[in-house]
Amino acid sequence: MSRLEIYSPEGLRLDGRRWNELRKFDASINTHAHLSDGSSYLEQGNNKIFTLVKGPREPSQRSQLDQSKATLNVTVNITRFSKFERSKASHKNERRTLEIQTSLVRTFEKNLMLQNYPRTVIDIEIHVLQQDGGLVGSLINGITLACIDAGIAMYDYISGVSVGLYDTVPLLDINSLEENAMSCATLGVVGKTEKLSLLLVEDKIPLDRLENVLAIGIAGAHRIRDLMDQELRRHAQKRIANSSKK
Amino acid sequence: MAKDIEISTAEAQFIVGALKERYRLDGRSFDEFREVKIKFGNEYGDVMVEMGETKVHVRISCQVTQPYEDRPFEGLFLISTESTPMAGPQFENGTNTSGDEVLISRIIEKAIRRSGALDVEGLCIVAGSKCWAVRANVHFLNCDGGFIDASCIAVIAGLMHFKKPDITVHGEKVIVHPLDEREPVPLGILHIPICVTFSFFNPQDTEENIKGESNQEIAIIDATLKEELLRDGVLTVTLNKNREVVQVSKAGGLPMDALQLMECCHKAYSIIERITDQIINQIKEDYKEREKYKALLSSENARDAS
Amino acid sequence: MSEVITIVKGKGSFQQTPLSNDSRYESDDEDVYMSDSEAQQNNEDLAKSQIVTPGELVTDDPIWMRGHGTYFLDNMTYSSVAGTVSRVNRLLSVTPLRGRYSPETGDHIVGRIAEVGNKRWKVDIGGKQHAVLMLGSVNLPGGILRRKSESDELQMRSFLKEGDLLNAEVQSLFQDGSASLHTRSLKYGKLRNGLFCQVPSSLIVRSKNHTHNLPGNVTIVLGVNGYIWLRKTSKMDLARDSPMAGSSGSANGPTGATSLNPTQNVSITRLEEESSWQIYSDENDPDISNSMRQTVTRYANVIKALAYCEIGITQERIISAYEASMAYPNIGSLIERENMEALGADIINAEKMRGNGV
Repeated sequence: MSRLEIYSPEGLRLDGRRWNELRKFDASINTHAHLSDGSSYLEQGNNKIFTLVKGPREPSQRSQLDQSKATLNVTVNITRFSKFERSKASHKNERRTLEIQTSLVRTFEKNLMLQNYPRTVIDIEIHVLQQDGGLVGSLINGITLACIDAGIAMYDYISGVSVGLYDTVPLLDINSLEENAMSCATLGVVGKTEKLSLLLVEDKIPLDRLENVLAIGIAGAHRIRDLMDQELRRHAQKRIANSSKK
Repeated sequence: MAKDIEISTAEAQFIVGALKERYRLDGRSFDEFREVKIKFGNEYGDVMVEMGETKVHVRISCQVTQPYEDRPFEGLFLISTESTPMAGPQFENGTNTSGDEVLISRIIEKAIRRSGALDVEGLCIVAGSKCWAVRANVHFLNCDGGFIDASCIAVIAGLMHFKKPDITVHGEKVIVHPLDEREPVPLGILHIPICVTFSFFNPQDTEENIKGESNQEIAIIDATLKEELLRDGVLTVTLNKNREVVQVSKAGGLPMDALQLMECCHKAYSIIERITDQIINQIKEDYKEREKYKALLSSENARDAS
Repeated sequence: MSEVITIVKGKGSFQQTPLSNDSRYESDDEDVYMSDSEAQQNNEDLAKSQIVTPGELVTDDPIWMRGHGTYFLDNMTYSSVAGTVSRVNRLLSVTPLRGRYSPETGDHIVGRIAEVGNKRWKVDIGGKQHAVLMLGSVNLPGGILRRKSESDELQMRSFLKEGDLLNAEVQSLFQDGSASLHTRSLKYGKLRNGLFCQVPSSLIVRSKNHTHNLPGNVTIVLGVNGYIWLRKTSKMDLARDSPMAGSSGSANGPTGATSLNPTQNVSITRLEEESSWQIYSDENDPDISNSMRQTVTRYANVIKALAYCEIGITQERIISAYEASMAYPNIGSLIERENMEALGADIINAEKMRGNGV
């Protein structure tokens, strides 16, 4: 592969965005009304993700029963066709997938009010139809939307985004070409605060630049929160208009 | 981890209560790392690291093998972390797929292997057909918290200490010289990543954590097992002496203010500086110890030199 | 562009917290995803009905008592779900838009036996947890006054076994929100001779009566939990309606139930039913005709259509939708998307017309 110009001197990225611009963010909720209690479909750039929330419901196994709070399960199904090249092996038991699952459970355990639903389980099922960088951030957004759709009580939104660092310029919401070319950080931000529920840095970033990267990430995540909020309100408005017909 | 170990309510309250008063059970201050004891074995790449009661043993080994087809100029480097019930009852035999175990091995992997701490291109012998495969076997011997930190120190110290046999290449033919025949050669270490783990506790209600602005969350460095069992969140930072953040992992848990996380990173830097120096010095001393009789036993003499 | 920025107003204070000044960027840059008109509309809507989303400040007035769907810190009350704010006296709560059925005492529900346990059945009622039906809370063959014996405990499966459907009433709630049921009335018990269908529980409004006789000799049990049972009208159903002759259900349709009412036999029928094992029978009546089955299916599809349009399900609407559905001779075609939408629109329009007429 020829050397790509990740960030042009004019300040444009491969897909024509500037350093502080998000990708197209398209979300819809209640996509699978019959299959699940809450669902969302999210397109963040070329990431395409279905999220289904089932529950709170009676646990199928006794071992999942917790007297004090609900048990949260997350399964991530990264489809074999989700990348440009079809992967030969299933991603199901890969360490990376397991790691993502655990991280997501731990992120949402602290944000959902699980203590309100004792002796139940909440299953979150994610299907990644297409991935193009910043996957974990998109998964977080998908889960947040689906959980709100399911009416599960939570303290606040969690919005996820990843930020790359190209030389000295932080690039917001990177795609897979950028992800492969530079080091990046993934953030999960709580609501409109500057609190990070999740922070993953997987490659070398100079310590003194990290603060910069976090700042732009938090700002981007707040923006994503607003976009999700808009979609939810739009949906709520529609439902209320419908129900006033009752 | 720690499904089978449960801590009594009274003890839990005591420990968290003491933390609120800024006391830790072992008398350390919040940002004090336990003393790291590094011991080298008889052979190269045999390291035992102790931090308090935590014990990790690492053995580095190597063999000649074929490189991956898509990377003909690179050698192989593998880290295998296997936890057995020997380390503690919370670990199961054989199944290393529980959340914590996956996170431990992934973080060590990211910190050392993916960050390019080992120069894999230096392991190439004949491009496309022969290369060294270096393997780090991590054994958890006893668990009292801080597995990630301890095993990261152990693996990197092991790699720095290890020497692979010297080789001579004649076209496709490779001669591996035994250690007693020729002085072995050390591996190429590009940087020294060290992990520091912070554990977070929330002294107040969740509401205060999410909506309040007091930021009273407690962050302690290098938690012991009991503290690990009770913590609300965890952050592992990996840094090297070049002021590079190699890896940061805060996989969920208690939401923490970004500035506080930055502060943690800066605190971690001073610790890794110290530990890096300690590792380098100890390896130097160990080599010196090994070469104590070298001058004495050498057949080299003044006449040869002329 | 200005509208776009106002959307972000929410809690502006957080936005300004200084973290690093140089990287604060202008939000104008990113408005591409949203047309201005949409933003405008959003703002207007906000003013109209109070929709809140998780983490949003509902009020900072300390006089409110905090109900479901909220959490608080000091004086501030925040929402924990997406929904509408409801204020009843001093109680402030947020009603979620969607969510599982949460039982309340007195609810008439339809459930399915999930598990037979020690002196109790676990019943799936579509809620967060299974409900409990104690052996002591059911009528056993032999009348109300019969004592429960150990042999009853041993043959619990012969009364109700896994998979059986029943209707029951929520007797009480446990601390954790799960329900305890009872079937100590002839209205309740095992369900047979019919078809089950399910709708979101939010579409069913709690009312005095949840069992209705519909035209076409069909009886419907509208469980508050969104589980619905459609069956052939039995003698019992007719008897139940008779005291209040001319009630809306039977008066409406051409094949209304009241016309065939055998009033005198009520008490005798009941006694018979009580004492026999028939109330726990698994056998359907042998004389269910094909046309009967078709009527039941038509009702089921009509209900699916109403649910699809998210129209609240009431007896009147089911009947009028049923009558409207006669325009489609093929019952199966009722659940095609266009037909469901057309049917829903019909109902809404018909109601509007009626409303205007009055």
